[in-house]
Parts: sequence; C-alpha cells; structure tokens
Amino acid sequence: MKILIIEDEKELQRSIQKYLEYQGFVCEAVNDFISGVEKVEQYDYDCVVVDINLPNGNGLDIVKMLKEIGSKSGIIVISARNALEDKLAGLELGSDDYLTKPFHLSELNARIHAIIRRRNFGGNKIISFNEIRLDPEAQSVAVESKPVDLTEKEYRLLEYFIANRGRVLTKAAIAAHVWGDEYEQVNQYDFMYTHIKNLRKKMIEAGAGDYIKTVHGVGYRFTDTGLNK
Amino acid sequence: MTKTTLYFLVAMMVLLGISGFLIFAQFNKQINERADKELMYEELQWVNYLEAATFNGSRVVLQMGELLIYPSDKPVTESPQLSTIYGDKVNDKTQIPFRQLNDVVNINGTNYQIVIRKSQEQKLALVTSILTILAIVFIALLIATLIFNWIISKRLWQPFQTSLVKIRNIGLPQVSTIQFEETNTKEFNELNASLNTMVRKIHSDYVTMKEFTEDAAHEMQTPLAVAQTKLELLLQDTSLDATQTETIAQATQALGRLSKLNQSLLLLAKIENQQYEATGTIDLAETTQKYLRLFDEIIKEKQLSVETIFNGNFQVKIHPFLADSLISNLIANAIKYNCKSGKLRISVSDEEYCISNTSELGAIDPQMLFRRFGGGTNARNVSTGLGLAIVKRIADKNNLSVAYRFLDDMHSFCLKKIL
Repeated sequence: MKILIIEDEKELQRSIQKYLEYQGFVCEAVNDFISGVEKVEQYDYDCVVVDINLPNGNGLDIVKMLKEIGSKSGIIVISARNALEDKLAGLELGSDDYLTKPFHLSELNARIHAIIRRRNFGGNKIISFNEIRLDPEAQSVAVESKPVDLTEKEYRLLEYFIANRGRVLTKAAIAAHVWGDEYEQVNQYDFMYTHIKNLRKKMIEAGAGDYIKTVHGVGYRFTDTGLNK
Repeated sequence: MTKTTLYFLVAMMVLLGISGFLIFAQFNKQINERADKELMYEELQWVNYLEAATFNGSRVVLQMGELLIYPSDKPVTESPQLSTIYGDKVNDKTQIPFRQLNDVVNINGTNYQIVIRKSQEQKLALVTSILTILAIVFIALLIATLIFNWIISKRLWQPFQTSLVKIRNIGLPQVSTIQFEETNTKEFNELNASLNTMVRKIHSDYVTMKEFTEDAAHEMQTPLAVAQTKLELLLQDTSLDATQTETIAQATQALGRLSKLNQSLLLLAKIENQQYEATGTIDLAETTQKYLRLFDEIIKEKQLSVETIFNGNFQVKIHPFLADSLISNLIANAIKYNCKSGKLRISVSDEEYCISNTSELGAIDPQMLFRRFGGGTNARNVSTGLGLAIVKRIADKNNLSVAYRFLDDMHSFCLKKIL
C-alpha cells in the first residue's frame, strides 16, 4: 500500500516514513507544495499525509485538488495548529482525518490503517494477525473462527496493537488512542493494566498466542516474535 | 451645575454690580446736568426779574419754597456753584436729595445771594429701578446659563459621550471595528482623530502580540513533534536494554508534558485574546456527565465515590470548547489530587456549580491557587500547573466567578454567574 507524505520538516518526514515503512507501507515523501502537487497528479496513493503549512502553498489546497481530480486516496491533514477552524476546514474539504503536532507515530499509523480500510469499498475489511481475525464493522473478534467476547475498550486495544504490531507503544499513546486525549490531563495510566490483563487472558483462553508483552517502565508491545509457534 | 458654570455666575455677579454702578453714575450725571440747566435757566429768570424789580434802587428779599434770594456782602462769584445736598429725613427713612444752585450776583450795584433748589426724588426711584433690573437680568442669566449648560452637555457634548460609550464598551478583539466619527466640533474632531490613531496602534500591537504568542506556540510544536517521533522510533530499537528504553520512555513523557504545557499556554493566550466567542448556551451539568463518563476508568481505578446532586440546570453562555475545557480541568483536578477511595461531589443548581473533592493536601492559599504555576510545591509530578489558571481565565471571560473553599476536609471550587 502506497502512502505519500507531504511534510516540510525533513526530520519529521523521515520519522513518519521510517515508522510507516516498518509497518509494511510503501512511502514516498516530498517536502514542498509544488512537488506534492506533482506527485498527486501523477500517481495514485492509498493515503496522503499532508501538512497544512508548506513552502509555496497551503496543504489544504492539495486536499482540494485531490477531491477535484476525484482521487480515491485517503487524506490525513497534519498541522501544528490546533485551531478548530483549521480542523473543520480540512474535514469540510474532504480530508478523512486531522492530527495535531506533536502526535504519536503509532497513532498516525493506526489512523492510516483505519482510513484505508474504510475506503476499501467492497474489498476485504477484515484485519488479521496470525490466528486472530478482527471485523471492524461489527467490532467483533474471532480466534480460529471462534468468536471472542471483548469489551469495547479491549477491542480498541487489540485493533491498535495489531495496527502497530511489533512496536513498543507507550502508555500515553495507548491511553490517548483508546480513552481519549483528556486522559493526558490526569496522567495516570494505572487503570490500563486491568484492561490489558483481561484482554490478554481472554485471547489466550480463546487459543491465541500470548502476543502482548509488557515493556517495563514504558508500555506494551504486541508481537509474535520470540514465540514458539 | 458644573464648576465652570459656577465660576461664570460669580463673575457675572461682579460684572453686573459694576455695570449697575456705572449705569447709576451715568444716569446720575445726566440727571444732575439736566437739573443744573434748569437751575441756571431759573436763576437767569430770577436775575432778570431782580434787575427789573431793583431798578428803582430798592432791595428785595425773596423766600418761597425752594428759592431764597437775599442781598449779601459776599463777593460776586464767577460762576454759580452747583452741588447735591440732602434734605431732612422723610418719615425717618430716606433723605431726599436736592440739587442746589448757589450764586452771588451783582444786580444794580447790590450783591445778591441766590439759592435755588430742586428736589431729585427720582434719583431714589432710579436706584431701585436699576437694582430691580439687575436682579431680573441676573436671574434670567442664571436660568439661561442652566439651560445652555444643559443643552451644551446634551448637544455639544453628544459626540464626546458617543466616543466615551464606544471606548467603554469595546473589547480588544473588536477594537479594529471601532471608528470615531467626524463631528461639528473641531476639538472633538481632534480628539477623535487621536483616538482613531490610538485604536489603530492598539489593534496592531494586539495583533502582533496575539500572533507572536500563537506563532511561538506553533513554532514549538514542530520541533517537539520531531523530538517525540525520534524518541518513539528509538524506542523500537531492539538492541537497547531495559534501562535505556525506560530512559527514553521517561524523556518521551517529559516531552509529552512540555507539549501539553505549550498547548495550555496557547489556550490561555487564545482565551485572553477572546478568540472563543460564545455561540450558544450550554448546560454545564451535561458537560459534567460527559466528562464523568470519560474519566470513568480513572475514577474506578482510584475507587472514588462520586456523588452528583443536580438540583437545576447551570446554563452558561459559552463557547463549547471552553465549556469542555473548564469542566474537564475542574474534574481532572478533583480526580488528580484526590486520595485513594476518596470522595468527589458535584452539586449543580440554577445559580451555582460546585465540585468538591477530598485530598491528602490541606487547605490551599487561595491567593496562589489560580495563578499560573501557582501550585508550586503541590504540583508534585504530573500537572502542568495551568489547569486552574485556565479555569479562572475561562470563568473571568464568561461572566462567572470561581471561588475556592476548604470545608469539612473537602476542597471545593464553585462557579457562580455574575449578573
């Protein structure tokens, strides 16, 4: 799956590219408005990640352009501006999502996954990881075709973990994704432990591998490496 | 009555007094001149008469009413002496003034003393008349002054009042829309021109300030994003040992706080710049329910007992984003500083919104409470120290008062509407 990153801050662009490539995406990156326009005119992407403030132009104009040429690619607008108007403008022009800098790469990745899945009309929307199958529309989970009964939070945790498989995820990133940004105000993530413990137990009982690893002092990692399968 | 009017009236009184005196002096002089002419004419008649009567060498003595003529040894005067004399008191009240002619003339070889008087009673009436007229003029002047004063302040000062009202009612964000109109008065035009210049200056300063605060905060977000993503990538490095990963995680956390802090400062700046205009009325009780649901996990985790007493609707005209920010900060605060198995009580009535929580901390100095970073020693670990400053700022800008109380071991924050 092909992603175009239009971001003028070189280092941020590289970070995004590196993370997304590790998650299996094919990435192209440009750092100004004109090359961004050229790219979207010439190629089709599954998703375009575009910054609002670009040299020589406004990222929102690229969103407008994509819509005008009837592009099917998903669009995520990223901006340092948290202003409501910018968010609304982006969404009104037809972008699928809006992320305010700074953001967690794992969050961006999860959102790209979600957008591509949503835009994949008629196609296979099932998320799979080894023996685990997730149906995002029904929000249901099955292990080896046997349904597993998860709570809403447990489902969201699992979805997030699978999208960011193999990555170390900080508690802050997980909390922000599953419980909302407001939790950062409280900055205590102890409650997460119970949910993860339950999810892990349910998945193992259903016959899935023990994929959720605790990274001490940091957070969690969802991985099948190092497992005897 | 203004000070100016008072001074004006005092000056008028003095001037009227002087003019009264001058009028009297003028009239007096004219009356005397007239009387003198008459006296001289009369004397001439009498002299003629005497010349005829004493032609035969006889001496004549005449005394009748206001006339006295008798032979005298006094030398002949060059011209008649004219003087004002006062007669006897009438009814012990006023002395009637007389104009008197005194002359010694030689008639047919004999010196005669001629004394003729004329009553000048009209002079008394003159004084009274002048005083009456002056009094009337003064009263008329007083009334006229008061009326003029009223009209002036109503009419002439109207543009001034208009400008004053404009200045009084304008907020910083709308300052550019203010325009002080041309008037018919040069002074006000000068004032308004200066005000217009001043307003432009204030507005441009305000815009610069606002842009600076926002730009500074925005500019910080990008390097923060770079640092955060780099650390997130570094965290994925499998060659790192546990201690190293933990260190990176701690750095990430600190960066997260920094970014949060930056956003809070930006929010404060935006609230102060009144960038969030109220769009409608919001029931804070509903917002509260929303955030209690959102914070449900952490409330359970801390085993807090939540008591909500909704006796009414606390309706506030406020931007929805600020309503969220206000309530989430208050609730987050009450949760954060609560002790394990503590209490969280929210009571809402039509007039008041109160949120109370138990805490291990004692009463806080209200003076320090709402200041930025005022929490100081208490901000142990996680808080940005801006939560309550944001609460206070939002309250201030939306006609709410926020008060802190420490009662029955509960910290209470109460919002009230300022009418």
